[in-house]
Amino acid sequence: MNSQDFLRQSDGLDSKTRYHKTIWRTIHTDPPLLVGVSLLCGFGLFVLFSASGGDVPVVQRQALTMVVGLVVMFIVAQFNVHFFRQWAPTLYAAGLGLLALVLVVGVEANGAKSWLDLPGLPSFQPSELMKFVVPMQMAWYLASRPLPPRFKHLFWSAVMILVPAGLIIVQNDTGTAIMVTMSGIFVVLLAGIRWRIVIAGFIALLLASPAWYIFLAQEHQKNRILTFWDPYRDPTGAGYNIIQSQIAIGSGGIYGKGYGEGAQSHLDFIPESNTDFILAVLAEEFGLLGILFLILMYLFVLIRGSYIAYAANDMFSRLLAGSITLTFFFYVFVNMAMVSGLLPVIGLPLPLMSRGGTSVVTLFIGFGLLMSIQTHGRSKSI
Amino acid sequence: MAGKWQLKDHEAERAMFSRRLVVAAVFVLLLFAALIMKLVILQVSQYDYFSARSDGNRLHSQYVPPARGLIFDNRGKLLADNQPIFNLTIVREQVEDLEVTLDYLDTLIDLSDDEREQFANRLRRNRVPFSSVPLRYVLSDAEKSRVAVNSYKLPGVAIEPQFVRQYPLAELTAHSIGYVSEINRTELDSLDDEERENYGGTNHIGKTGIERTYEDLLHGTVGYEIVEKNNRGQVMRRLDRTDPIAGKNISLYLDSQLQIAAEAALGDFRGAVVAIDPNTGGILAMVSKPGFDPNLFVTGISSKNYGVLVTDNINTPLFDRSTNPYPPGSTVKPFLGLGGLHHELVDYEFTIEDPGYFRLPGVSYRWGDYTLRTAIGGGHGHTDLQKAIYQSCDTFFYDLGNRMGIDTMHGFMSQFGFGQNFAVDINYARTGVLPSRDWKRATRGEPWYPGDTINSSIGQGYMWATPLQLATAASIMANKGKVIQPRMLKAVDGVPYEPVINDPVADVVVNDPDYWRYIEESMSMVVHRAYNDVFREYGTAYEAIAMADREMPYKMAGKSGSAQVVGISQEIMQSEDINVSDLNKDHALFISYAPAENLSIKPQIAIAVFVENGEHGSSVAGPIAKAVTDAYLLDILQIDFAALNSGGDELLSLVDE
Repeated sequence: MNSQDFLRQSDGLDSKTRYHKTIWRTIHTDPPLLVGVSLLCGFGLFVLFSASGGDVPVVQRQALTMVVGLVVMFIVAQFNVHFFRQWAPTLYAAGLGLLALVLVVGVEANGAKSWLDLPGLPSFQPSELMKFVVPMQMAWYLASRPLPPRFKHLFWSAVMILVPAGLIIVQNDTGTAIMVTMSGIFVVLLAGIRWRIVIAGFIALLLASPAWYIFLAQEHQKNRILTFWDPYRDPTGAGYNIIQSQIAIGSGGIYGKGYGEGAQSHLDFIPESNTDFILAVLAEEFGLLGILFLILMYLFVLIRGSYIAYAANDMFSRLLAGSITLTFFFYVFVNMAMVSGLLPVIGLPLPLMSRGGTSVVTLFIGFGLLMSIQTHGRSKSI
Repeated sequence: MAGKWQLKDHEAERAMFSRRLVVAAVFVLLLFAALIMKLVILQVSQYDYFSARSDGNRLHSQYVPPARGLIFDNRGKLLADNQPIFNLTIVREQVEDLEVTLDYLDTLIDLSDDEREQFANRLRRNRVPFSSVPLRYVLSDAEKSRVAVNSYKLPGVAIEPQFVRQYPLAELTAHSIGYVSEINRTELDSLDDEERENYGGTNHIGKTGIERTYEDLLHGTVGYEIVEKNNRGQVMRRLDRTDPIAGKNISLYLDSQLQIAAEAALGDFRGAVVAIDPNTGGILAMVSKPGFDPNLFVTGISSKNYGVLVTDNINTPLFDRSTNPYPPGSTVKPFLGLGGLHHELVDYEFTIEDPGYFRLPGVSYRWGDYTLRTAIGGGHGHTDLQKAIYQSCDTFFYDLGNRMGIDTMHGFMSQFGFGQNFAVDINYARTGVLPSRDWKRATRGEPWYPGDTINSSIGQGYMWATPLQLATAASIMANKGKVIQPRMLKAVDGVPYEPVINDPVADVVVNDPDYWRYIEESMSMVVHRAYNDVFREYGTAYEAIAMADREMPYKMAGKSGSAQVVGISQEIMQSEDINVSDLNKDHALFISYAPAENLSIKPQIAIAVFVENGEHGSSVAGPIAKAVTDAYLLDILQIDFAALNSGGDELLSLVDE
């Protein structure tokens, strides 16, 4: 709301550092985050080249997507975070409107009716927007109320999370619905919801899950869960992906088979080797060391995100930055756990590694928001 | 708005947020730790297991079938070749809808129902997943290109080259060489584990003839290939290879030129010709007519073609006449006569007065003389052994056989291979019957009657012999008792082959070696004794052989025979009014060897000719034996008898080599 530039000039740092900071400040970019994300992008393209069997056009298209993502990130970062705070309710309402519109005139692709093809605009998925609009809305709602939130506020928070999530489930896109829900829940958790409510909710979820399994779960969802417990109940059908993926990871050993030498992926034993299961390719070719290296890069981005949340000036920025960072972690963890057999198979890509379009751009919008929080209206900085 | 802000304690909220951030960080680290533990389990503890699984996924050992050994005749002409063909094969696992694919292929290459059924049968057999199963053997160039052009619509369908057997002489060697055909379940089951492994990559196995007898030599040893296959079963690269060892090339004694001549000599008759080189035992020709095209069997005979072959009850092309027995008739007479001399039942001076029939003492039944089916009637009159042979006098042999008795007859005749298979490597040949008291009791449960001996003494009754046995006996006769067992295989990979005979047959030894000369002279008279003024003192085959070719440069020892098919009285056979069906006519036989009675050169070829329903041994079978002998001695060996007879010793040595 009010610029802190005058305060910063008196913080006693030498002129050279100040000059650098000023440059980055001016273009609203956070260098550590940019470095972390760029490293991940580079490594992702490197692995994709091998996973796609040296398919240069595929890698080029993915690189182009990443460049578009970076540009979007820069644009988002130029806006002051308070701008988003002001517009959060409006964006949220518009998002709900688009989700409702999708139900009427949506276009179906890959079994999910989630695309909107409006005249004059490129086709896009409104559910994708909700991944950052929902946490924005939650942060706006809870930041202006006394924390920890009261029960009444929690109730409305739940409504604000579940309405869009429900609309997305109706579109038959459970994966995105889970992500949107989690991004909202992370805000509530960070806002200091009492532990006993969290534990009670967790227990309620556990108790409800059998009922869900029996009455609500669809056949393919039940299958995925059964397959998770025993992949060998249908080794050539439902269990095939996870069995082949585990073979690829396990046979990679500590040091891996070498770049481009992954037999499992190059002989097409791993399905979805360019997208959801790209971790199996990496694990096979670079071994345990390769995965540890990747986790370290993710950790670097996560630590920077957490720091931005910690150092943010106001509660809206903290909650938003915290939620974006945790959602990013959630993405990474769920995909890795699923590919290694720690969780049932859920169709989620590995951020910045898997091939993909819109979801990549969504990620960069998240990084743009983090940069905006870090570079606008900050009194102290590193 | 301002009122709400007043309720907030910013510092407390900030501290609370920071604590939550720390809790979140702890969760993140714990979850990453769990993930890393899972990865350590997979990549370190279970590395060996998954590494093996990965190799098992991609590495496949596949068989490389050996090339089947070639079969050559005795002068290097190919009798069985391997020729490349292009097969249309299908990998079942790669075809989405088999019916649709087959229907589409039908529009390209016209599949018959028969082919579809055979293909379904092949699919049903136990097979390795992702292996290709032949749909059609032998694609024409046009078909090949039609399939190739549309291959993008035909996943799982491929054109694969393969070497298959090809028999250049086709029908001529159908029985003697035999054929290979697709290996079947029963044959696979009969192999032991090691052999089955060796047949892992082989589609074909020898079914009959030489192909079957020498299957072990011809097949070779299977090779192996380690290949890397992708998820769709396509071979991506070859990693290791153990070359197969090709089957051995074998050479036979069979002479394809003589085989062709023998088949041609049979003309339109059904029958068999077996020719043996008495010096080596090598089978020079072995023809059974009619034959069939063995090439049809190699790539799977259609049920229509097969139906034609099996339903022809008259020609029975699949039946090998050369190794199946018939009553030998009078062709046994020279052997029986030799036995009479050896056992001193007759000598050179012994004669009978032949009234034209024989009667056992005290029995009213007359055994007629089958050879005298002429209008003249009566008997041969004053007859010695020599005349009994060249005139084929039944009465003489009735008397001799009767005095000899079945036990002595069985003992003597068995030395010539009757009732046994002397052949070294024709194990499928039948043994015929050389009857004895024991044999009759065992098979008929009846005692031996004196009348049975009478029938046996002219090669009728219970006595049965194959053309191969008759040729063998003739070659022993030509060798003056020395037994060289008949054989097909001459050399393996160019190295002369000496078979291991566990139980060799002893030579035939007679009291006086001059008996051999005497019998040879008698058999020579069968062919060469000309008509003269004396009643019935010419050779039975003179008219058909020596008189038909007055320029015949060599002498041939022979003996004709006729075998009764059904009992038809002589009156009916001779009647002009009644037509006897061709199928009821006697079988005609002739045995011979040549050159005979030649001091400069030993006999080079012994022959047995069998003509089904040929009626007359001397006039039908005899000329066939003559033609085959001519072909061998004059055309193939090109013996210059004029020079030989003038005493050219060097020529003799040439022939012996």
